[in-house]
Amino acid sequence: MKQYDVMVVGGGPGGYVAAIRAAQLGLKTALVEKKHLGGICLNWGCIPTKALLKGAEVAHTLENLSLYGFSADNVQFDIKGLVKHSRDVSARLTSGIDYLMKKNGIDVIDGFARVVGKCELSVESGTQGSSVSETRYRADHIIIATGARPRSLPGIEPDGEQVWTYFDAMVPEKLPKSLLVIGSGAIGVEFASLYRDLGVEVTVVEVLDQMMPVEDAEVSAFATKKFKQRGIVVKTGTKVESINKSVEGVTCLLIDKNGNSEEVVVEKVLLSAGIQGNIENIGMETLGVETDRSFIKTDEWCRTNVVGLYAIGDVSGPPCLAHKASHEGVICVEKLAGVAGVHPLDKSNVPACTYSRPQVASVGMTEAQARASGRGIKVGRFNFQSNSKALAIGEAEGFVKTLFDQDSGELLGAHMIGPEVTEQIQGFGIAQALEGTEQQLMHTVFAHPTLSEAMHEAVLDACGQALHQ
Amino acid sequence: MSAIEAITVPKWGLTMTEGTLTEWLIDEGDLVAVGDAVADMETSKIVNTVESNVAGTFRRIVAHPGDTLEIAALLGVVADTDTSEEEIDAFIQSYVPESVAQTDLLGSGSDDTAEAATHVDAHTAVKEESKPQAPTNAALDALADGEDDSDVHASRYARQVAEQYNVNLHNVKATGRNNRISKADVIAAIQAAGGHIAAVVVDKTATAEPHRSTQNDSKVKATAVARRLAMKLGINLYDCRVSGSHGRVCKADVEAANALLNGAPVTLAAIATGAIEQAQATPEFEETPMSGMRKTIASRLQESKQQAPHFRLVIDCQIDQLSALRKQLNDAHPGVKISVNDFIVKATAMALVKSPEVNVQFDGENIRRFKHADVSVAVALESGLITPIVKKADALNLTEISNEVRSLATRAKAGTLQPDDFIGGTFCISNLGMFGIKQFDAIINPPQAGIMAVGAGEKRVVVDGNDTRVATVVTLSASFDHRVVDGAVGAQFMTDLKRFIENPALMLA
Repeated sequence: MKQYDVMVVGGGPGGYVAAIRAAQLGLKTALVEKKHLGGICLNWGCIPTKALLKGAEVAHTLENLSLYGFSADNVQFDIKGLVKHSRDVSARLTSGIDYLMKKNGIDVIDGFARVVGKCELSVESGTQGSSVSETRYRADHIIIATGARPRSLPGIEPDGEQVWTYFDAMVPEKLPKSLLVIGSGAIGVEFASLYRDLGVEVTVVEVLDQMMPVEDAEVSAFATKKFKQRGIVVKTGTKVESINKSVEGVTCLLIDKNGNSEEVVVEKVLLSAGIQGNIENIGMETLGVETDRSFIKTDEWCRTNVVGLYAIGDVSGPPCLAHKASHEGVICVEKLAGVAGVHPLDKSNVPACTYSRPQVASVGMTEAQARASGRGIKVGRFNFQSNSKALAIGEAEGFVKTLFDQDSGELLGAHMIGPEVTEQIQGFGIAQALEGTEQQLMHTVFAHPTLSEAMHEAVLDACGQALHQ
Repeated sequence: MSAIEAITVPKWGLTMTEGTLTEWLIDEGDLVAVGDAVADMETSKIVNTVESNVAGTFRRIVAHPGDTLEIAALLGVVADTDTSEEEIDAFIQSYVPESVAQTDLLGSGSDDTAEAATHVDAHTAVKEESKPQAPTNAALDALADGEDDSDVHASRYARQVAEQYNVNLHNVKATGRNNRISKADVIAAIQAAGGHIAAVVVDKTATAEPHRSTQNDSKVKATAVARRLAMKLGINLYDCRVSGSHGRVCKADVEAANALLNGAPVTLAAIATGAIEQAQATPEFEETPMSGMRKTIASRLQESKQQAPHFRLVIDCQIDQLSALRKQLNDAHPGVKISVNDFIVKATAMALVKSPEVNVQFDGENIRRFKHADVSVAVALESGLITPIVKKADALNLTEISNEVRSLATRAKAGTLQPDDFIGGTFCISNLGMFGIKQFDAIINPPQAGIMAVGAGEKRVVVDGNDTRVATVVTLSASFDHRVVDGAVGAQFMTDLKRFIENPALMLA
């Protein structure tokens, strides 16, 4: 039986990063992937959606050509072209991961892996139809990184035709006339924004009281307002009770928290009401691995209750973000390899980004959470309306909010909505990682003219020293 | 500063005391490299060729054909071209034969072997490097023109060079005595026409130092890479053959010269044909330098074997009960994967505590008895072997020992062990059971005084009273340092160990 020091199950941003780190540390490493390297992120998630959203950005620019002195008529759009662009980008990145595996001397095994005993894996290779072979492997350490998939709601199952998941929404054959999005987390909001910019009638239905429920309330309210201005119908505190599919479309029965019901007929429904971990058929029950609903339970070092078995990324629970998976991969491997100075992941330092229009980016506590913690806090705000670069590029909708601990000056949270905030949030992340104070941020020189100056001004405002508002 | 050197009568054979010069093979004014054939000599036993062990220009014939001289006597003088005649005269006057020249050049063989000494022909002993590519130079081309030059008065050496560089001797001006063309004359003619000569290279490797040119080589045609590389390696371009395009010294030429002058000696034939590069490309062996780990293992274990008087005690243990207990624990407890070796570590730790004279460190003079058993476990790595320590193993339970051994093994492979993790320990366990090894003897790791070699557990027939049955048996073979552990002490330790292994419930008590 072939023996490895580390075997990783799943080749997404958690799995392949863990494998690379293990190989860098000199451990004999193998990675088992059943479908495509890069996992959901590269192939059916983060990357292709950003490619599609770039198309949405282009659509938006075309709407405002006259502002810049342009005029154009007879602009054509073919959704297939945009979809092709996103698929091409995915393919390119997948081969990039392939190269990284080779470069690091990691054995990539194509197949479906199952844990069959402590430190033992069985991999099934071969597709249905052709002969399926089974190979066993021994590994001192097995890391489960099998990711997650869309969750169904009772009575609302995806069929790939009228009821979509993000898989379907990413490769539409043609644009639907109307789309109802169930769930307003990052996935739902991004698709809502994308399809709206491409001319589709969009309705967003969220069961909680706030669209984008995990974001800061002020940011959510602003986003909701902007969505509504764009013509997106947003219904919060509302549940999709049931759906009825017919040739005319999908009739959705909506019931709000006051019991009022409403029927909405749309061409397509997008089910984006959460995800569940892929823990089935991989041997978790055989070994008695502890799970919590659909996720694998782990300690701060990504260890499960079974010796030599670890879980990282989406399969080990929220926040279900690619960068959280990657960092867990590194921490898990460094810890088991005995690298000095490893720290567990501080989930409050994991930023969350939503690439809708306007973009949303946040890290740390919301204002409500900060206030609820009982400590004295300082709050600063700065509106992009007062940012020269934002005005120059015609995207001055949004703001930056910072929250500091009054005593220690620690950055407790930062919340941003507006142009390119997903690219700017890392600045606040760095401050947190370095445990910097508001003073140090104030003394940092931000280049002018940049959108990022809004970050600086928001910090100044927290200290009552805003210069440009 | 001109250096004046002597060509002297060599010693061939243990009994040679004198020789007679029969013929000079070079002429005054010729350039001489170390190993060049310079004269024929005869002794009572053989006729052989004197080879120069100095380099420079042959300036003065001292001995003449027919002269009989003692070994180490002066035959001729080699110096720089700018050394004055007076200086050479003075050198000859004051010359005293050196005893070093009396070393038998034919080696330790008897005179019989002298018969087998090869008569080294001028053509074979003194070889130029491979022909340079014909440079596209009219003046040089013209050197080749002319009638048959076989009767031109030239030294054998000069003729050889002329042939190699395609020079007709009619085109060479003789400057030597008696209007004889010397090698230097041919070289001068070639260089005057714009070509250049590769330095003479010898195939004598044991005694000779290859000739290194000191001429300013900035005018030598060479590729930019070759020039830079030559500078870096300290090679004079005049010492390189010319095989690059357009008559230039190229990188391969510099590397060949480097191999010769700075590296391992190579045969002339290889240089001449370029076979040296092929030979270097497909050697029969590959030299691997010893890594730090390898060197450490080598020196420590050698020292241990040499210093510590090892004696061995072998005992067989039935592990059926142990295996059953192991399965029970592993099935019930997902958080741990206990191996047979983990049990052996625990049993050994317990036995060590019972036999404190074994649980020691010994540095050759002082014995330290430890309160706790720090058991080292041998871990095989790709690059060698390391023995991380399970500290205070007697105080750990089976789960803790198992997890600690797993963690140590992974950290050993990742190279993250700290010195504290593997330096020290009071006893070592080395297990080759996974390779199917029945029994083996291990070498003690100093400063410990014992090591136990664990073989594979296998089904064997055992005797029970007067009946036989099948049991799973593992052979343990311990080596002890007899300076600090006596036979009876070791035997008691082994007896206790066997008892713990065969009654595993004791390990849970």
